[in-house]
Amino acid sequence: MVGTIKKDSVVVAVGTKKGGFLFHSADRRKWSVAGPFLAGAGVYHMGLDPRDGRTVYAAAPHGAEPWGPAVYRGRIGSEPKPTSSSPKFKEGSDLAVSRVWHIEPGSSNEPDTIYAGVEPAALFRSEDRGDTWEDIGALNYHPTRKEWQPGGGGLCLHSILVDPRKPKHLVIGISAVGAFESRDAGRSWTMENRGVRAGFLPNPYPEWGQCVHKLAWDASGDGSLFQQNHTGTYHRGPDGGAWTEITKGLPSDFGFPIAAHPDRKGTAFVTPLIGAMNRVFHKGQMAVWKTGNAGKTWRKATKGLPGPNAYLGVLREGMSTDAEDPLGLYVGTNTGQLFASRDEGESWRMIADFLPPIMSVTSGMAR
Amino acid sequence: MSRASAGEIARIGVLVRIPPALRSYTAGEDEVVLDASDLAGMLKALDSSFPGIRDRVVDESGRRRPYVNLFLNEDLVMTPLPTVALKPGDVVHILPSVAGG
Repeated sequence: MVGTIKKDSVVVAVGTKKGGFLFHSADRRKWSVAGPFLAGAGVYHMGLDPRDGRTVYAAAPHGAEPWGPAVYRGRIGSEPKPTSSSPKFKEGSDLAVSRVWHIEPGSSNEPDTIYAGVEPAALFRSEDRGDTWEDIGALNYHPTRKEWQPGGGGLCLHSILVDPRKPKHLVIGISAVGAFESRDAGRSWTMENRGVRAGFLPNPYPEWGQCVHKLAWDASGDGSLFQQNHTGTYHRGPDGGAWTEITKGLPSDFGFPIAAHPDRKGTAFVTPLIGAMNRVFHKGQMAVWKTGNAGKTWRKATKGLPGPNAYLGVLREGMSTDAEDPLGLYVGTNTGQLFASRDEGESWRMIADFLPPIMSVTSGMAR
Repeated sequence: MSRASAGEIARIGVLVRIPPALRSYTAGEDEVVLDASDLAGMLKALDSSFPGIRDRVVDESGRRRPYVNLFLNEDLVMTPLPTVALKPGDVVHILPSVAGG
């Protein structure tokens, strides 16, 4: 046992507008819940560290909204506590962190390293599990920074990908600036937005200014990526280069999360919504769409999902996969339902209702 | 730690009242007596005794966080913190604004 959560259970960490919850199951059929943790706080992101299966990290305000952003850490099943310090910009920058959006564990051979993505957009690295933070200056004070514009959710750095094979290889996403890539642990960065539309700008294919909503590694293991954008869904091949738009076959070019199969190349899942001005599922039917060929074709799954007359949406961090076989998927809605699939997204079951609006869903294995 | 009397505060320095949300930093103490000549200095002195607490009141650029209020005695502080002078016997309240609707 680990607290009240059994070892080898699948754990789905759910961050909501009013606290975090840990759903856990040994068989992915019968689910139990622990929490709320950080009750009353807006938990933007919460997850189990896959490197030890015991540590939970969360991004939330300190205690309540007015007291500023914090990173929380705790043993699974116990109330997480703020780490000794929160990410901060260097003195004299005239910037101040207002919110932590995302916590990303580092690679398996750097067990104490975690990354934080914050608003206003910046990346921080901690090598002591969140007690002290390094301001990644080459990105955070990028020469283009003074022209960065926020997306609808703010100027946030929300996607952080750490290459499991090469820990110095990082990819991040900022709304509405775009994707950046580093191959030297953040000392230098390239903008990686070629082929990505920014239909809201005079030049629809600028070097930067794209509104990336979420990034995910393709399981190919060669640096290939998936992207859900404000305007389109994309795939990028290995070792950089232009993105290929793969929106064709989906009902719209707008959505927030994208989750990739952890082992099967070219396989990803999205939840398209009507559009920026109406962020609900098409025709009142919640649906998860899957590709198995890097976006050449898509297949829609609705079995077990609400509709018709279900006018809800899924936020940026609202979808996750586990690492089981067959693959499990988890989707949380902005109306407080948590859905699970244990057959790679073919069919779904609601495992929780009446939660506060769900802001993040991540999954892992308790050890 | 015993609570300070009015005489002690007047003799020693400034009394800072700590809100419940920040008492994790002060080991549960709801008031602290410090020697400081202005509000910015008071926060630095507070932070040197209770590391991290200053970050909850002001951000890294020194700006007071939105919805966090400082009262000097009974007056809401509206001016930049370094310009607000303190004298022995003053009481500083750190309070979240009601932010209701």
